[in-house]
Amino acid sequence: MTDERDEAPQDELSPGERRAFEALPREADLPPELEERTVAMLRRAGHLPTPITVSRRSGGQTGRTWWIAGAIAATLAVFASGIAIGQYLGMRNATVLAFVSAHNATEAADRVQRTGDRYVQALASLSNLPATTDIVARNKARETAMAVLGAAAEEIAHLAPDDPLAAAVMRGLNERSRRQGPEAPSSRSVIWY
Amino acid sequence: MNAAAEAVKQDSDRSLAELVLGGDEDAFRLLYRRHSPRLYLLVLRLLGGAEADAEDVVQETWLKATERLNTFRWEASFGSWLSAIGLNVARELLRRRGKREEQWTEETEIAGPAPRDKVDPLDLERAIRGLPQGYRTVLLLHDVEGYRHEEIAERLGITSGTSKSQLFHARRAMRAALGGYGKDDAHD
Repeated sequence: MTDERDEAPQDELSPGERRAFEALPREADLPPELEERTVAMLRRAGHLPTPITVSRRSGGQTGRTWWIAGAIAATLAVFASGIAIGQYLGMRNATVLAFVSAHNATEAADRVQRTGDRYVQALASLSNLPATTDIVARNKARETAMAVLGAAAEEIAHLAPDDPLAAAVMRGLNERSRRQGPEAPSSRSVIWY
Repeated sequence: MNAAAEAVKQDSDRSLAELVLGGDEDAFRLLYRRHSPRLYLLVLRLLGGAEADAEDVVQETWLKATERLNTFRWEASFGSWLSAIGLNVARELLRRRGKREEQWTEETEIAGPAPRDKVDPLDLERAIRGLPQGYRTVLLLHDVEGYRHEEIAERLGITSGTSKSQLFHARRAMRAALGGYGKDDAHD
């Protein structure tokens, strides 16, 4: 590509022809799907990494966030139910096992849904109360909610060891306990109903 | 483009290419969007306006370019290197389709109209599209893309003299076609 074109001397372009050649476009709009097809081809050939896709029913990242939030709430409810039953029987581990084994998956999932909803509703009710309402009871309820949240995060970590949100919740609660110092009531030690 | 701008662009192409070699998809997309519009139009013209074939050639060109990227020595521009690959892919496609590139000898004589003073670019585009494959390739590379005969000879595996001869006949055929358009459309 140079200005020194070695024209055949007997066949020069006329100025009009040269202008027409120069006026021709050098680029064209690409078909919109061509880029994706090309990237897909390179992925198949192993030149580009294939992204990991997560199956979602709807909603993308927002849907995933809500799913995780729902799962946490549901697990909180399962755990709370297990604790309640455990306290009643005086045998926490045995009660949890009994709870799990006494129901099929559909029933367990249904219970998770219903009790999780109730837990979230209870927290919403608490947060909607005026700030001056029985501060002692309010703080106690908040501590209980935090304790259940931590326990639920731990249970989620058992269910899904790689879940980053559960790990983050546990780290946050541990950090919170550390900052409050040994005098503060342990968020893990108070389970209050 | 001046030398500095070319150097900056070249350096950027090289940086992107190094990222592509590491599997960086975003870098590939940048390179693709930078060079594909020109590559696409070149192969579209080489293939006589067959859009689906041109898209296949662009894809195949990027595949080959990515495969060979680690062997590219950056002595030429990335765009020129990519165009050369695209040219070969397009010619291979035409060969598979059984379209032989016409070769003319120095002794071949054809009569043609004289150079024209006024040419409509749209007519010119149509005239190029209607040329026999061999003519079209040399005319595009020389008169549109600006390659010298030595470069064309190297890319097409022919002699420089054959390239000149092809161009001579290609221009005559182009003028003959333009004459037809001029009569039909009264551009001249």
